[in-house]
Amino acid sequence: MLSRKLGLRSYYLLLTTYFSLLVLSIQNSALLYYLIIMNIVESMKMAGKTLLSNKLRSALTMLGIVIGNASVIAMIGIGEGGQKYVAKQLESLGPNVLFVLPGNEETQRISFEVPRNLVLADADAIASQVPTVVGVAPELNRRQRVSFGNRNTDVNIIGTTPSFLQVRDFTTSKGRFFSDVDMKRNNQVIVLGGKFATKLFGSTNPIGQSVRVKDSRFEVIGVLTEKGSSVGADYDSAAIVPLTTSANRLIGRNSPYGIALDYIVASARDGQSVDAAVFQITNLLRLRHKITNEDDFTIRTQKDALQTVGQISGALTVMLAAIAAISLFVGGIGIMNIMLVSVTERTHEIGLRKAIGATEQDILLQFMIEAVIVSAAGGLIGTAVGVSGIVLVGALTPLEAAISPIAIGSAVGISGAIGLFFGVFPARRAAKLDPIVALRSA
Amino acid sequence: MKEEQPIDNIINQQSITNSTQHSALSTFNFKKTIIRLENIFKVYGIGETEVRALSDVNLTIEEGDYCSIMGPSGSGKSTAMNIIGCLDRPSSGHYYLDSLDVAQMEDSELAHIRNKKLGFVFQQFHLLQQLSALENVMLPMVYAGIPNSERKDRATEALIKVGLEKRLLNKPNQLSGGQQQRVAIARAIVNRPVLLLADEPTGALDSRTTQEVLDIFTELNNTGITVVMVTHEPEVARQTRRIVWFRDGQVVHSNLTPADLSQVAAMQ
Repeated sequence: MLSRKLGLRSYYLLLTTYFSLLVLSIQNSALLYYLIIMNIVESMKMAGKTLLSNKLRSALTMLGIVIGNASVIAMIGIGEGGQKYVAKQLESLGPNVLFVLPGNEETQRISFEVPRNLVLADADAIASQVPTVVGVAPELNRRQRVSFGNRNTDVNIIGTTPSFLQVRDFTTSKGRFFSDVDMKRNNQVIVLGGKFATKLFGSTNPIGQSVRVKDSRFEVIGVLTEKGSSVGADYDSAAIVPLTTSANRLIGRNSPYGIALDYIVASARDGQSVDAAVFQITNLLRLRHKITNEDDFTIRTQKDALQTVGQISGALTVMLAAIAAISLFVGGIGIMNIMLVSVTERTHEIGLRKAIGATEQDILLQFMIEAVIVSAAGGLIGTAVGVSGIVLVGALTPLEAAISPIAIGSAVGISGAIGLFFGVFPARRAAKLDPIVALRSA
Repeated sequence: MKEEQPIDNIINQQSITNSTQHSALSTFNFKKTIIRLENIFKVYGIGETEVRALSDVNLTIEEGDYCSIMGPSGSGKSTAMNIIGCLDRPSSGHYYLDSLDVAQMEDSELAHIRNKKLGFVFQQFHLLQQLSALENVMLPMVYAGIPNSERKDRATEALIKVGLEKRLLNKPNQLSGGQQQRVAIARAIVNRPVLLLADEPTGALDSRTTQEVLDIFTELNNTGITVVMVTHEPEVARQTRRIVWFRDGQVVHSNLTPADLSQVAAMQ
């Protein structure tokens, strides 16, 4: 009898619970949601009022986060800007370009005196025998004194071949580039970089003029179109002469095997054939140099260079951001510190609020929201400062203004989280205050 | 009771007759009980350091009562007031506030009880300095979840009731002590509590403003609000209808009249 009654009752209870849950859950959750929202809105109003009533303190507390945030964003922005800058410079070489350097990584690391075992004949062999290579420009660079009239300047004299124009993607703005004939005859002709031409000649037309390089007279036959600085060599403020002339008249033959080169620039047929070109050049040079174990040359592609630069600048960016993040963290500690002082100062207020019906959660929410408002506002201001810093750097330096939305999002998010994190401890302390003790404290 | 001094005995007998009359009356007019303390103990510390702040306190206060709690310092009246005000819980015993057993409620429940059923007035006013009189009075309604528009109306109404209709937007530091206490009273009654608790409400006031504040209490009591007040000033207590006397953590007289008080005060 009893058990049946109980069974019926529990069955009835189950049914009513089920139906009331079904019917009420939506209403209830909406109501609960409304209450929570209202609570947060109220707490935000109160927090805003409190923060505004002590403007100087709020501003100073915010300052830590502002500086932290601004430096994180600026550092990441400048880091990325630098990375982009270098990458762009590398890309300006063209994606198909590859460099053949004398010596392997081991010998290059040991000394600056690179072995002189890459010669003009190697460059010619690459040009004639490697099918995926469409152009080869060997280079032999020396700094020499160039004088015209009473003006003289030390510049980089680049000895190369006529294919330089095509491989390095240059054009002449005045006159002509030297030809194979000039090469063969060791003609003393010189092509000036755009910037260098202006520097040496000003507004006079340099074509046909005679300049002195070291002790020899050279005829200016052309001027290169200015391209802006690029990685490795600044051709705009350099001068270019035939490789043979450079080796025979300016530097002197320096290798028993022929003219030793600083490096060979080769351009592959297209982006896809770069790897094939590397493979073929490697095989050819191994044969020519009779290599049985270690290579005595290195081939670098743009991809390699980009990768290396990316690694270095990436590490740099992370380091900068980490240093900046420390200041953000310190800013967070500043918030916690001020919040703790504020809790002590406002013991009365907390006691009173509790006495008239504030729950622990109400107090907790109020103080948490104060901390979050301070840090989020600091985050926003810091972002503005950081972004304007980046823009300023972009305007004053060649670094591109790289405003990273991820950096901004994460910096503001992180500073909000810092407010939450460092606000919890003071807010909990406030919430746990005994109203009797709080009201009595004088 | 047996250990009491002779002078108290006289009053005690009188009060017993009073209380029997009172309870006899109350059985007839069905007055609602607002406060019922049953065997309340409050003990601090354990073992040898144990201190009994309240020891077996029984007290009943009915709706519409205007009651003051008196007693020497350390008599337990503040502890009793904290328990009545749901700011503290007794170590043992039952406390029925408006028929709810609040003795063992959780903190958040007690907060709601304080918010909805109680109004507090303190000696030091405890107004928030950065808020105007109106905003101070609106504060309890914030925690009650009352919509903003209604809050303003009700707070204004409460401030009119205490005669501060011209001071709505003044900050506490622009108000006199008496005016500040009146703001505090408005704040205490704005959530329409069943019980108004005042802890030395005139302790920081001069005699003229004291009378102003007491007049407001009397007026509020006349409109049906139950008032319980802790005071050590006999002149203040005399204006209430009933006096509860505490000593050594116990209620020694639960129903003195102001007339009885003169005798007690004369003996003190």
